[in-house]
Amino acid sequence: MYVGKPLPRPEDFRFLTGRGKYVDDIKLPRCASAGFLRSPHAHARILRLDASRALKRPGVIRIVTAQDWAKAGHGKLVCVHPMPSSDGQPMREVLRPAFAAEEVHHVGDVLAAVVAETRYQVLDALDAIEVEYAPLPTLSVTARALDDGAPVVHEQLGSNLISEILRGDPSLAKQAFARAAHVTALTLDSNRLAGNPLEPRCYLASYEPETDHCTLWATTQVPHMLRRWICKYALNIPEHKLRVIAPDVGGGFGNKVNFHVEVSTIVWMSRELGRPVKWTATRSETLQSDTQARDHATEARMAFAADGKILALQVDTIACLGGYLSNFAPSIPGNSYPQTITGLYTTPALDLRVRTVYTNTVPIDAYRGSGRPEATWVNERLLENAAREMGIDVVEIRRRNLLQSSDFPYKTPVGRVYDCGNPPALLNRLVDMAKYKELRQEQAELRKEGKLMGIGIAAFLDKSGTGPSRQLSTRGGLHGGFESATIRVHSDGKVTVLSGSHSHGQGHRITFAQIAADRLGLPIEDIAVVQGDTDQVPYGNGTWGSRSASVGGTAIYRASETVIAKARRLAAHLLECNPDDLDYENTLFFVKGTNRKLSFAEVADAAYHGASYPSDPGFEPGLECTIFYDPPDLNDPQAMHLAVVFVDERIGRVSIREYYTVDDCGTMINPMIIEGQVQGGLGQGIGQAMMEHVIYDPDTGQLLTGTFMDYAMPRASDMPPLQSDYLCVPAPSNPLGVKGGSETGTIGPPAAIGNAVVDALWHLGVRSIELPMTPYSVWRAIASASAGEA
Amino acid sequence: MATVEISLTVNGKPVVSDVEPRWPLVEFLREHLGLTGTHVGCDTSQCGACTVHVDGVAMRSCTLFAVQADGCDVKTIESVSAGNELHPMQAAFRQHHALQCGFCTPGMIMSALDLVRREGYELSEETIRHNLEGNICRCTGYYNIIKAIGAGAKAMRNASAG
Amino acid sequence: MYAFEYRRPATLEDACKALDSLAESKPLAGGMSIVPVMRQRLASPAALIDLGRIDALKGIEVPNGGLRIGAMTTHFAVSRSELVRSKIPALGQLAGGIGDPLVRNRGTIGGSLAHNDPAACYPASVLALDATIHTDRRDIGADDFIVGTFSTALAPTEIIVAVSFPPPDTAAYIKFINASSRFSIVGVFVARSGGTVRVGVTGAGHHAFRCRQLEATLMTAFDPQAARAVRLPADELISDINGSAAFRAHVIPELAARAVEHCMAGTSGAIV
Repeated sequence: MYVGKPLPRPEDFRFLTGRGKYVDDIKLPRCASAGFLRSPHAHARILRLDASRALKRPGVIRIVTAQDWAKAGHGKLVCVHPMPSSDGQPMREVLRPAFAAEEVHHVGDVLAAVVAETRYQVLDALDAIEVEYAPLPTLSVTARALDDGAPVVHEQLGSNLISEILRGDPSLAKQAFARAAHVTALTLDSNRLAGNPLEPRCYLASYEPETDHCTLWATTQVPHMLRRWICKYALNIPEHKLRVIAPDVGGGFGNKVNFHVEVSTIVWMSRELGRPVKWTATRSETLQSDTQARDHATEARMAFAADGKILALQVDTIACLGGYLSNFAPSIPGNSYPQTITGLYTTPALDLRVRTVYTNTVPIDAYRGSGRPEATWVNERLLENAAREMGIDVVEIRRRNLLQSSDFPYKTPVGRVYDCGNPPALLNRLVDMAKYKELRQEQAELRKEGKLMGIGIAAFLDKSGTGPSRQLSTRGGLHGGFESATIRVHSDGKVTVLSGSHSHGQGHRITFAQIAADRLGLPIEDIAVVQGDTDQVPYGNGTWGSRSASVGGTAIYRASETVIAKARRLAAHLLECNPDDLDYENTLFFVKGTNRKLSFAEVADAAYHGASYPSDPGFEPGLECTIFYDPPDLNDPQAMHLAVVFVDERIGRVSIREYYTVDDCGTMINPMIIEGQVQGGLGQGIGQAMMEHVIYDPDTGQLLTGTFMDYAMPRASDMPPLQSDYLCVPAPSNPLGVKGGSETGTIGPPAAIGNAVVDALWHLGVRSIELPMTPYSVWRAIASASAGEA
Repeated sequence: MATVEISLTVNGKPVVSDVEPRWPLVEFLREHLGLTGTHVGCDTSQCGACTVHVDGVAMRSCTLFAVQADGCDVKTIESVSAGNELHPMQAAFRQHHALQCGFCTPGMIMSALDLVRREGYELSEETIRHNLEGNICRCTGYYNIIKAIGAGAKAMRNASAG
Repeated sequence: MYAFEYRRPATLEDACKALDSLAESKPLAGGMSIVPVMRQRLASPAALIDLGRIDALKGIEVPNGGLRIGAMTTHFAVSRSELVRSKIPALGQLAGGIGDPLVRNRGTIGGSLAHNDPAACYPASVLALDATIHTDRRDIGADDFIVGTFSTALAPTEIIVAVSFPPPDTAAYIKFINASSRFSIVGVFVARSGGTVRVGVTGAGHHAFRCRQLEATLMTAFDPQAARAVRLPADELISDINGSAAFRAHVIPELAARAVEHCMAGTSGAIV
């Protein structure tokens, strides 16, 4: 049995010895270099663009702009996951352009591309392109996007509204609020983030005129989808003429799922010039061009009965999507956020309004957590504030409201049905592990000495395993939710698994081998896993939304079942018995009650040389199976976090003394990999909570966090001592029982730490804290509380 | 562009090359020597993915020019293991799942080795945390890296004693 | 980055000659400040004169009881020096908290002072310790050395050779660290010698400065509560994404108070 074991990863040897192959590592002869001219303005009309001087610079081969794109007949960077308004109106859509034509809409918006022999020549040429802009009024504050008189990002739309999504039952909620014994209200904005995978984006396209075929090496999480989008939507080329290879990819987190602006241009230029073209982003470029995340302005209220039971939740969110629509963006505040907004609590009534808006900022799209951190921040902050206001212990109020395991499957006010779980067990484990009662005692004692200790909890739901294709298409989605798997047995009995997922750090090679090895009954050393090449692997939907284990893994499991069933039938033929008379163990097929046996390898051998093959025409040679598995449902991982903090209130510095997590991620195929995912997620969740923030100047839209000097991310010394546990209820929707495991780390920390900080400062009158909880933010909260503005 | 001839040792081998003064060492290593194990993750000398050893001391190869390495002994990640055997520090990283996407890993290993050089084989968790401030990881949350470095240092001591 | 010429002289004299003869040339110390700026194409000196091989610029000495640190001495060397620890432990503490280990392996005191980043640590210390900056042609007192944002009293071709620090009776440095840059949001260096107290502040203004109000208060009573009670005006201070001027005005006395607490306890400071 391999499933359940913490087996190490085969790819580590490469990475540890510097033999990883990331896109920028690939060198091709005659490779030209590309670069992009980006707008320094957040909103401006392009009056004049003159590349004539630049074209004369040494080594310059081509310079292209929006006019060239249009002349070439190229298409659009389509939004594949739209969210219409609840009244049926389509989104007010302005897609991200490959090149801005008349106006630029965010700092970093692309106006031109330069191709030259070397990178230095590209940079010199970019310097020489003359552009005249007429700056326009800029909107960069999400909360103001729908104000009267706010600057309009896309004039032709008349306002900044993209769509309005309404969920729940406003009149039911209104009644609940009217009869509530207690109402808690808070402003709960979610800070804007940059995913910053450590490997900057890079694309290398190599078109060979002799074969009219282009290979694109791309830093992508979705090689097949990227190929389809470039061929179908952007460049109108036949799909079989483009091969996309995602070799080693240095982190993604959702940033590398998108149909980014630059990639189509790189392919186009290679095709035009008949030679390889490469573009590697600098970090400053990624901060102006990679999609960003979160950025919600939210006013929310929760209504309670006298005993602390939730009666209703009302949420009004303005969700920023940036200067243009990116691929998946509308679905994050439009679908993922609503689906998890009520969290793990029985919530009789919900009134949710989400209005997505444009602002003059870099487009927003998927980033680890996608909507769930925003939802948990709202739900959990309201609940704990209410508990304190009502004099109910924060653990106790959760006990009174948590879904019981018998409540599952649970239909939320949004309509989503949660599959299974045992939230009270998670809470008990969390509270035991953290020694909650002792922590409260310690807190009281330290308070007498003037030390400010806080304890905060976040209990929450994740949403993963996207997902049933039908569900996606009812929302107008232009992509599927299935996953492909090929189990290819070779003639010597060894196996290659081909998966349409793509690992960029999540350890698919070992995880998938564990699944296949168990289902095929073979030693794991006999199993290789291949991903990331559209020429080798059947169409897959890639890795995002914690879907690879539950969807990709199940595809592998099912394909393995078909293969082993066929092997059994062939073994029975060769052993001249009935397939039911065979046992299969330790790679051997035994005829029951005899010592007649055949190894799997011998069966494979027979499958490929056909000498003793059944003459039955329904029985084909070969031993291989490809399936496209469409999952019947999503799955619902759950987790709970507890943070213990100390606040140095004179300077606002928060230190996290200890942090606890309990996860229900369903069956754990490789516990070591899952633990790594939880911990890695915490790195980013604690980042959002404590320090990460993409900041635009509120008046000019200038990006103030344009490098790592200003965009903070946790270092090793910023991570708190951690204790984690897992209490898993297998998901009912897949035979492995797997739920997603890689995003909960990002979801809990803002709420858990935010609750802890407010807990520490409650007696000073603090009720609210802004993300990220930098010293300045905490100091402001204390200062305004003591000024009576809490 | 005027070039300068430099002569240095890279991973134990002598290298003589003409370089433009403006080429960062990391560019020279990656583009001209084909040593792509050293990575570029930022442009403000902060992430540490480009860490190499120059004359036995860890430094960022993005913040050093190739010309400055003239006459120096440069070691990159490619020199750490001997043939197919992982160095004890590398083995510890694998054992403790201290890498995910692998992009920061070469820099982490080079920094870890430098830490052992400066602080010895017995490394407390606090010492390791404090000394990893120059290496950013976005995937792991650092917990396993810290464990691995502690274990790797101990393994190095045992290897050198034995 | 833009192209430039490169020289690596073996002696100080050769370095001076090179700076004089090559137009728009700049000395290169550890490179921790200038190289990132050049990589972003925000600076383009026509030539770099690498001081890295000039032994006369390295080393730590105690001439006549003072502490003299060669300009090309790395932060790591200062943080580990027994001489520094015995004379001015707070300076070793400061050096050991600059940037990260990779920066400390390369960065130098001369380079840091010549660059004069408004949030760098060393500038606060030279002000508080009344240091003298020795160049190839003169000595400059710390008060005269720091002139503006990224700007010092150095002439374009002038090279720092060493920095001398008269050892104080007691000193401490509190660095309120900036999580992204690993510089300081605010850094306060307090030093007392006899009845004189000097307080060097970095990160809070257009350049490091001495906080006269805190100095006066601490000279009256070298007491943390006295420091805490000081109300500083915010007008001269900077506001940025890490905090408003008002925040900085509030934090400076608090950090000074903690520095005094460290002085009284005989410890040299902390990163908060």
